[in-house]
Amino acid sequence: MKRAQDFLRHKEEGMPYYNEPVMREPQQQSLTYMYPQSADRVIIVATLCLIGVGVLMVYSSTAILSMKKYGTSFHYLKNQILTAALGIVTMVTFAKINYMRMRRFAIPLLCLSFILLLLVFVPHIGISAGGARRWLRLWPSTFQPSELVKIAMVIFLSDYMAKRQEDMKTPVKGLIIPIAIMGIFQIVLLKQPDLGAIISLGLLTISLLFIGGVRLSHILGLLLLSVPILYKLMLSVPYRRRRIMAFLDPWQDPLGSGFQLVQSLLALGNGGLTGVGLGQSKEKLFFLPEPHTDFISSLIGEELGFIGISLVILLFIIIFIRGVRIASRLKEPFGAYLCFGLTLMIGIQGVVNFSVVSGLMPTKGLPLPFVSYGGSSLLINMMAVGLLLNLSKTIPREEWKPEVNKKRRRRVTRTDRASQFSLPFGNNSPTSIFSKGGHGGTL
Amino acid sequence: MMDKKRVTILTSIILFCFIAVLFRLADIMLVRHRELAKRSRTQYLIVQDIKPKRGTVYDRKGRELAVNLELDSLYGIPSEVEDAKDTALKLSSLIKVSDSTLEHRLSRGGDFVWISRKLDPKITNRIKEMNLPGLEFLPETKRVYPKGTLAAHVLGFCDIDNKGIEGIELKYDNYIKGRSRKLMLGRDAFGKNLSTGSIPEISGDNIVLTIDEDLQYIVDKELDKAMQETHARAAVAVMMNPETGEILAMADRPAYDPNNPSAFSPADRRNRAITDCYEPGSVFKAILVSGVIQENIFPLSQTFDCSKGSIEVGGRIIHDAERHGVLTLTQVVQKSSNVGAIQIGMRFGKERYYKYIKAFGFGEKTGIDLPGEVSGMLKEPSRWSGVSIGSISIGQEIAVTPLQLLRAYCAIANGGYLLKPYIVSEITDAEGKPVKVFGPQRIRRVISERTSRIVTDILTTVTEDGGTAAKAALDGNPVAGKTGTAQMVDPETRRYSHSKYASSFIGFVPADKPRIALIVVIFEPKGEHYGGHVAGPVFKRIAEQSLTYLNIPIEKDNHLLLVEHDEDR
Repeated sequence: MKRAQDFLRHKEEGMPYYNEPVMREPQQQSLTYMYPQSADRVIIVATLCLIGVGVLMVYSSTAILSMKKYGTSFHYLKNQILTAALGIVTMVTFAKINYMRMRRFAIPLLCLSFILLLLVFVPHIGISAGGARRWLRLWPSTFQPSELVKIAMVIFLSDYMAKRQEDMKTPVKGLIIPIAIMGIFQIVLLKQPDLGAIISLGLLTISLLFIGGVRLSHILGLLLLSVPILYKLMLSVPYRRRRIMAFLDPWQDPLGSGFQLVQSLLALGNGGLTGVGLGQSKEKLFFLPEPHTDFISSLIGEELGFIGISLVILLFIIIFIRGVRIASRLKEPFGAYLCFGLTLMIGIQGVVNFSVVSGLMPTKGLPLPFVSYGGSSLLINMMAVGLLLNLSKTIPREEWKPEVNKKRRRRVTRTDRASQFSLPFGNNSPTSIFSKGGHGGTL
Repeated sequence: MMDKKRVTILTSIILFCFIAVLFRLADIMLVRHRELAKRSRTQYLIVQDIKPKRGTVYDRKGRELAVNLELDSLYGIPSEVEDAKDTALKLSSLIKVSDSTLEHRLSRGGDFVWISRKLDPKITNRIKEMNLPGLEFLPETKRVYPKGTLAAHVLGFCDIDNKGIEGIELKYDNYIKGRSRKLMLGRDAFGKNLSTGSIPEISGDNIVLTIDEDLQYIVDKELDKAMQETHARAAVAVMMNPETGEILAMADRPAYDPNNPSAFSPADRRNRAITDCYEPGSVFKAILVSGVIQENIFPLSQTFDCSKGSIEVGGRIIHDAERHGVLTLTQVVQKSSNVGAIQIGMRFGKERYYKYIKAFGFGEKTGIDLPGEVSGMLKEPSRWSGVSIGSISIGQEIAVTPLQLLRAYCAIANGGYLLKPYIVSEITDAEGKPVKVFGPQRIRRVISERTSRIVTDILTTVTEDGGTAAKAALDGNPVAGKTGTAQMVDPETRRYSHSKYASSFIGFVPADKPRIALIVVIFEPKGEHYGGHVAGPVFKRIAEQSLTYLNIPIEKDNHLLLVEHDEDR
């Protein structure tokens, strides 16, 4: 209560308080700390909505498969609910930690993700399925290191770019080193193979570097250079070219290379405007491959129709826009890069997934964040949302809508009051201590 | 801190991608919805033909004459058979297929081969117990005739695929077999049927016959007895309701079992009552007499001199069986005098006689609803030779079916109407609602009421003392009828045989108020061959039992009269 009074005092004095944390016991180090602002509730609601849709659709898509494999229709549903619960815990945790402390772990995390990525190839530890080695045996479940790689890369790059803001314009430090690191990861991913991860990792890295201030000419040069490599990798081998290019006309070989996409298109087309109804999908009856993971959005389209899938896309757009907004209001470079990077990570995965199922991109396995079945993806994305919320709390309410002066006052008081009671990310945690290096601002 | 412009550009690109996806989805899901949904349906829906069960055939009182039985058929999946030789050996001990044939079938590859269809449940169980790989069962329905040979020639039979081959099964196959219904079934990618609930059972239409099982049984039994006694080659009996044309019983001998038709020769499976025509002999005299009386050619008191015992027509001499004196018209019929009949025929004239033969329905199909009916043989008068009028007067040179004859007699019995005989009274659907109902159909009026009464009286004398068919007389009820003893043409010599006869008796009873009309034809009896002696008693026995069954009161019962007198006192 005392602290709340302190904040009010600060506010009355017209002092910006996002960088004015309470420093009662500065000597006490803690991983968690609290900013006076509440977390971005729009992102929370949107994320929870997506998780809800995911749980629902995972059940719808796996009930029969589960019955067939495990004798109960709830196997996958149970897993997904458990993971979602774990994901929410993860989100809350990462919303509370001192994000600045993550800078210390940026490089170790990247190394860890690389080691885990390599461990996939170790027999007994790595698990191969469907011709790909992507998973680690992690009792009682499995873990997909490529998911971790994405967030590790974002954290690493944010740290890297925040440290070397001036160097970013140089070709070596600004472009070649990050790209080389990305390249190493991509080579390993290629061996798995996990082309979906390669694509999203590549897009993510280049987008972040672009934001980080790398010269446009450097980026364009890189893209030009990568053309022959991409050609060599993807199009030189006829069968691979056929498979990759099948998305242009899947009907040419609807039972072979075009099969997945054809089934996905059939599912979507069958859905129409309003869908065939929850649980009524016909495509999930083993026609559509991966209906609970990579192609869950086709199933959403079939069962919930264009309206349903549009709402899901809208949720992604909302999270994306919200994330960009937070990022652009952050003054501290690491936080800003991190926020933008995480937002991009979620957005790019979403776009790639929807593009794949609708035939705008070649068919490559990539789960839909929050929705697809799969613990690694869900946990990592929840971690990202947690960090987004964390960062959102560092922005004062005044900054949200500076142009609306009349409503500002009332709005602030209301949200302030509400935030004290309503959310777990509220500012009334008695243990929250601002740590030393935790300055959120640029002052 | 971040480059605002770059953030805006990148954000716009991503947002643009989202919008592009939305447009793309709108194209797929809204514009191409119909086309894709149709394509989708073709892969998860399979159209399955549900084969209907055959309808049941009932007698007129609703007793089942043809039903279905669920049996398992054994088929092999050669690609899954492990040891064709061993499998074949084990199977051949149970089913009637040799092990070499089986081995050949099971070892030639492929996914489907019939091994034995519609197996006995006991054998099915034993094969199931052996648990041989690559052998599967498919339930099929087998047509079963629970009454065995009863009315077999009417019912006909089905082939292994339940297609009607003979009789009612063939004639009404389109109704009985039912319409196979197309059912849309959902299935998963493995082709597994996903529809919940059982596949509706559909069945074809049921047939209700005019046949009465009890009457049919009486006729069958008596024909069997006659066959035993006379050692005849074949026999036919048809019972008809003379007022309506309903066939009450129709029996052919030799009998066959429709449950196992292949064990019998096609000749035995023929419904001779409609498919075989023969020269009827003296029974045809009734037709002649009916025409003569209808046309009032001469008074009924007219007499004919038959004392010579023979008559010459167109160079052919025709004899009577025994010498008669001067006979009246009635007596000519009663004693079945050929000489008298020929005299009458010659007086009648071939044109008029032909007109009446035609009017009585000879030379044309009766139109009964059974397959394979023949129209018989009737020559145009212009093609008649000099001897024809004589021959036809005594029922030669004309070929008729037993049913045609019976129908003609029914016209005499019912006051002159030629009827269309029918054997199916009703077709009902699976729920028992009538689909089609059949009723009596008069084709034309042949003779007047008066003529029919006179002819009936004349025919009644046949079974009285002095008639040729005293043995067909019933206690109490007068029988109107006529005997026939036709020589059959020997196929080798192409002349009338002196050992092969078709002995017949047609009549109706009670003569004054006919309830049943019955024809009994015994083909080629050994020994006694006179119609009155061979077919007459059969007629009597059948008629007697039938009248009892039909609860027709005995009209002239002395005992009954006595009781009445007792009451008077």
